[in-house]
Amino acid sequence: MNTVWLIPALACYALSAAGFAMERAGLHGRFARWAVLLLGGGALLQTGDLLMRGIQAGNVPVTNFAQALVFLAWLTALAGLVVIVHLRMPVIGVYVAPIVFIVVTLQAATMRQTRLTMPQSLRSAWLPVHVTLALLGYALFVLAAGVSLVYLVYEKRLKAKRPLRPTDERTPSLEKLDRINYRLLGWGFLMLSLAIVTGSIWADATWGRFWSWEPAESWTLIIWFLYAGLLESRLTVGWRGRRAAALTIAVFTVLVGSFVGVSLMAPGKHGGNFG
Amino acid sequence: MRETLFILGVNHRTAPVAVRERLAYAEDEIVAALVRLKESAPAINEVALISTCNRVEIMGVTAVGTRVQDEAAEFLAGDRGVGVAAFGPALYHHEARAAVRHLFRVGASLDSMVVGEPQILGQLKNAYARAAAAGTAGLVLHRAFHKAFSVAKRVRKATLIGHGSVSVSSAAVSLAAKIFDTLANKTVMLIGAGQMAELTARNLKRLGIQSLLITSRTFENAVALARKLDGTAVPFDSFRPYLKLADVVIGSLSAVEPVIGPEEFEGVIRERRYRPVFMIDLGVPRNFDHRLNELENVYLYDIDDLSAVVQESIGDREREAEKAESIVDLEVESFLKWLDGLDLVPAIKDIRTSVEQLRELELERHRAWLASLGPGERERIESMTRGLVNKLLHRILSGIRDGRAGIPDSVYAAEIARRLFSAELAIEGGVLIDDDSDEDDEP
Repeated sequence: MNTVWLIPALACYALSAAGFAMERAGLHGRFARWAVLLLGGGALLQTGDLLMRGIQAGNVPVTNFAQALVFLAWLTALAGLVVIVHLRMPVIGVYVAPIVFIVVTLQAATMRQTRLTMPQSLRSAWLPVHVTLALLGYALFVLAAGVSLVYLVYEKRLKAKRPLRPTDERTPSLEKLDRINYRLLGWGFLMLSLAIVTGSIWADATWGRFWSWEPAESWTLIIWFLYAGLLESRLTVGWRGRRAAALTIAVFTVLVGSFVGVSLMAPGKHGGNFG
Repeated sequence: MRETLFILGVNHRTAPVAVRERLAYAEDEIVAALVRLKESAPAINEVALISTCNRVEIMGVTAVGTRVQDEAAEFLAGDRGVGVAAFGPALYHHEARAAVRHLFRVGASLDSMVVGEPQILGQLKNAYARAAAAGTAGLVLHRAFHKAFSVAKRVRKATLIGHGSVSVSSAAVSLAAKIFDTLANKTVMLIGAGQMAELTARNLKRLGIQSLLITSRTFENAVALARKLDGTAVPFDSFRPYLKLADVVIGSLSAVEPVIGPEEFEGVIRERRYRPVFMIDLGVPRNFDHRLNELENVYLYDIDDLSAVVQESIGDREREAEKAESIVDLEVESFLKWLDGLDLVPAIKDIRTSVEQLRELELERHRAWLASLGPGERERIESMTRGLVNKLLHRILSGIRDGRAGIPDSVYAAEIARRLFSAELAIEGGVLIDDDSDEDDEP
């Protein structure tokens, strides 16, 4: 089902992605400013879309995998805007905007006829809390991987001694990228931890047990440990910079694999949601 | 009288420094020199003098067709006590469009030795201020300089002409800014107290570093430099334990063998908990083993790497300069249009007066009838005639300005219109005026 909000939102995201790409291609920095506004506009329009769906479903609209993905894209756009504007990192837009655009386009293309039906078991006040925390955690991990990617590309250029292109004056320093990566990981980890806690409480209230070792839960735990290890290595041995960035991307790859794999192959009671 | 700009001078391309320094003026000599120049060359209506280490130029305004370059060159020779023969071959001379273009290019830093360097705009502003102070800048120069400033601003905004680093030490500093977010909590270590190392340290210090350690084979040199730069001197045989503190290490020793190798530095990096290190090797032969660059979070740039960065920025600036040239061209056209328009002013004023006189003459003829009307009706007729005159004038004058009469030279067109209108006025007044005798009274 498409609401009237979706197509304009898509248009905004597409133009935003183009704007960020143009800024990176060496055109004027003004393009990034327009791209940020368009990303914000897209997120706002998508908020309208999600609200309509939510009202119809009577809860957060995340009844299947595709919808969870769209919700994740929306959170990524919002969190991305915070990073871009608040931390002054327009360079992240060149990564965030296309991802959000592609995910939401998939929604527009595949969910045309789907009517939302919320299973009885999911109709709970815990649903929005648990799902939002989990997906917000993932959105922050998406951004952390993006920041790490920028770090690696940029680091390589500095090592190869071809660092000074005109657009580089608008690229943040390695130190800043590294610090922001760390912060995103920290916040993402916190969200994921809270999602696990709320999920357990909810499970206990509904099924009488905190943990049932279904695939979604097990994989979440694995990912939780991986991110914990990533943060631990920075705090104890001091792994940072290149190695931290590479590991962030590696763990994120595991996250994407398990998210898609579990949701499509072994949904369990997460009902196609790995959240 | 039609006026035009000229520029005459030498710059870094046409004259070696030995010639430029003999022609150069000190800041406080310029006002007096301008006054002398104006006295010695009365054909020059307005004049300014631009004197920097890269150029000495006289920029002025004369009537079209007046030849002043010899006078100006002779003035320069006499005033500086240098024979014209000594700098004559280096002298360039531009007029009209070329002179305007030259001024705008200078202001936009397109004519600078290092294209895009920012000082020239300030120097040009000084030159203008001195001409204004000497009272030798008039309408045309005021406008020309202000336009040059706005062109420079536009070029800076629309192109990346001022971007990138064009010296080794500034390249090092801008690289430091790519690696570190802030230098405020960073320690810089100089190994060797060479001149380029000192310059680089100074530039880094200007951005605000936390501390500066200096070691040198000769301890006295380290101490002397530490005193100059407010740093701490470290004896050469015990500098190694301090390496782990340094976020930026600058080497400028004259050593045959590298003083820091990868095995040793790997330990340092681990001790630093992998915090990044920027190593700047200004020594030839190199002070730091080139394999250090392969260590994690270590960025090693030697003198050639830095020069390559500089060369690249210079290349970038040259590409940007092409964009800037087209901006300059556009602005030159718009300035020349204004200058041409300036020539029309006297003729237009005459035409306006002639037509207005016709109107008044006509009203005068009907004075008796007008007197019989009420004040409201009189006012109405007054405004009717005024409106008719204005509409007529507008059509004629705008036609002259954009060459609608088929005469591309608008000054010529204006002159024709002026004569036509004044001839009509002469007949109307019942007095025949010989138009040719009128010629000399032109403003």
